[in-house]
Amino acid sequence: MSQWTRRGLAALALAAVLAGCGEQRRSDTAGSVERDDDGKLTVYVVDYPLQYFAQRIGGDLVQVEFPAPADVDPAYWSPDADVVSRYQSADLILLNGAGYAKWVSTATLPISKLVDTSVEITDRLITVEDATTHSHGPVGEHSHGEVAFTTWLDPTLALDQAHAIRQAFASALPEGEEAFHQRFDSLADDLLALDARLRDFFAGIGDRPLLASHPVYQYMARHYELNLASVHFEPDEYPSENAWWDLGKLLAEHPAEWMLWEGEPMAETSSTLAELGVRSVVFDPCGNAPEQGDYLTVMRENVSNLIEVFGG
Amino acid sequence: MKQTLYLAWRYLAYHRVKTLILVFSITLIVYLPIGLRVLVDQSSQQLTARAEATPLVVGAKGSPLELVLNTLYFRSDYPELMRYEQATRISSSQLATAIPMYVRFNAQGHPIVGTSYEYFEYRGLEIVAGRQLGILGECVLGSRVAEALDVGPGDFVISSPESVFDLAGVYPLRMRVAGVLGFSDTADDDAIFVDVRTTWIIQGLGHGHQDLTRPEAAASVLTRDSSNVVGNAAVVQYNEITEDNIDSFHFHGDISQNPLTAVIALPPDQKSSALLQGRYQGDDEVAQISRPVTVMNELLGTILTVQSFITAGAVIVGIATLATAALVFMLSLRLRRREIETLFKIGGSRLSVASVMTSEIVAVLLAGVILAGGLTFLTSQFGSAAIRAFIRM
Repeated sequence: MSQWTRRGLAALALAAVLAGCGEQRRSDTAGSVERDDDGKLTVYVVDYPLQYFAQRIGGDLVQVEFPAPADVDPAYWSPDADVVSRYQSADLILLNGAGYAKWVSTATLPISKLVDTSVEITDRLITVEDATTHSHGPVGEHSHGEVAFTTWLDPTLALDQAHAIRQAFASALPEGEEAFHQRFDSLADDLLALDARLRDFFAGIGDRPLLASHPVYQYMARHYELNLASVHFEPDEYPSENAWWDLGKLLAEHPAEWMLWEGEPMAETSSTLAELGVRSVVFDPCGNAPEQGDYLTVMRENVSNLIEVFGG
Repeated sequence: MKQTLYLAWRYLAYHRVKTLILVFSITLIVYLPIGLRVLVDQSSQQLTARAEATPLVVGAKGSPLELVLNTLYFRSDYPELMRYEQATRISSSQLATAIPMYVRFNAQGHPIVGTSYEYFEYRGLEIVAGRQLGILGECVLGSRVAEALDVGPGDFVISSPESVFDLAGVYPLRMRVAGVLGFSDTADDDAIFVDVRTTWIIQGLGHGHQDLTRPEAAASVLTRDSSNVVGNAAVVQYNEITEDNIDSFHFHGDISQNPLTAVIALPPDQKSSALLQGRYQGDDEVAQISRPVTVMNELLGTILTVQSFITAGAVIVGIATLATAALVFMLSLRLRRREIETLFKIGGSRLSVASVMTSEIVAVLLAGVILAGGLTFLTSQFGSAAIRAFIRM
């Protein structure tokens, strides 16, 4: 079909096009950050560590919102439509990346406002290897495999995420760049000090076998070269007989004397563990906002807990 | 003077059929070229306005016209497909905001537009009932779609299969209506908007199904070993995304390889626009970048050529009609010779008689021009809407 024939046909299609070519309104450039009347950036986050980093870096130039209820695990929380709407109206939405907060993958959020704080560390993310695969339909064998998401338990990764936040803030609010930079440096000092403290402590542990009540400490274990194996025990549930049987098998190969818990376990569970020669110690991953203190104080308390049970 | 006008009026009123035919002919002669011009100008402005509001469109190499018509007006066959990574490429360049577009499927004759949240902000589209898109599987309706299908928030719209013979292909997806957009008098009024990932689910690139590792799915398992579960044909796949099953929805493979029909690029300034366009000039480039206003102007150039032919035809017909009218008047004068002689005999001067004749002609011409003016005004006010309504009938 010649170009003129095509154009002729297109011209004849004018009437059809007219059906949908009324007056067009044009908005301002999409994606531009529109700040509140007080000039602050409104930032929504998907977990508490991001909230902490954003508040530390943003200071009084940023309003950070984390709408997850205090009693849920933000990794598995799903916001309702109203909360999604609040996220949609944010200036920036900070994501942890690494598949954290699965609801993000099925929600309609403004792409231009999403900031994946893990985008620069994708080569250091850990893929969970024991995910079950399955096959159906024409796609063949596949898994819904997961990536370990508690990146912030490795302070060096947390530092990279904080750096991504600083860049996003500076891009959205250039006039605050200097302030963001200074506050980021302060946060970086704290994270590196935490890293040094954890490194010193775990150096004393060496390759002694440890247990984790849940597979959430992967990044910490890799960074500090811990000999850590995980089970699936819930702090507020007494494990089933099968779970105890599996633990017995694991202990035969991995004779750990300590189990790290996300929260204080039930006394009954601690007692049974003690009978097996395993003592409990809480290392709070701090995915949600703590009742008291902040990310750093919780992490320092975690270190204190470890020192208390293992000795300094 | 009053008597002259009275005589002219009485003559025209007495020969009302002849007068009406003459007035009608002159109305058409004047109206056709002017009205057509007004209509085309108006349509051109409307077409150009939407094109001007869309700075750049990126698509796979192929017809720029198809790309622009599909992206701006959701018309024409869908263009060559490109990969979602092109949207990421634009975003990563930081030269423009990228709005992905996937306009391929339809529901009950209305185009399903897969896009991102930014599209609504960019086009200035407001929700007047319900709320914005919240999760995958939801849709937001253009005002005319809601009216035509008589559906509103909480109701459902079902996507149509691309082909009835494609049994293994696109499954109909039952989409919940989250909200209805306000009337914008644009192509957006006739569209069904969904998250671009919902269109991938419609295409079968993502799906939700029962968890094969759970005991209740035993009947759907063909084989199972320590690391792999093979489902059989009985695996229940969901054709509607709900809060209960949304966690089971997932995409296979690399999302960056999923298809798009276009990406609308919104550079913040001319420099960014020029830099972005420069990146698509390489010989090995798989994508093209188009300025919709240029493409539409080329199309309008063709339309204006067609219009000039029509105008020329109208002018020729007009000249012929005027000549006929002049002939009618001259013949009329000849037929009215005795009447004119009578006027002279009863004392009418040559000037008075000429004034009566001239008044008749001027009155007919004036009536025709006034009517044509009225029609042109109506065309400028309601022409486009009338054509759109006629086409939708």
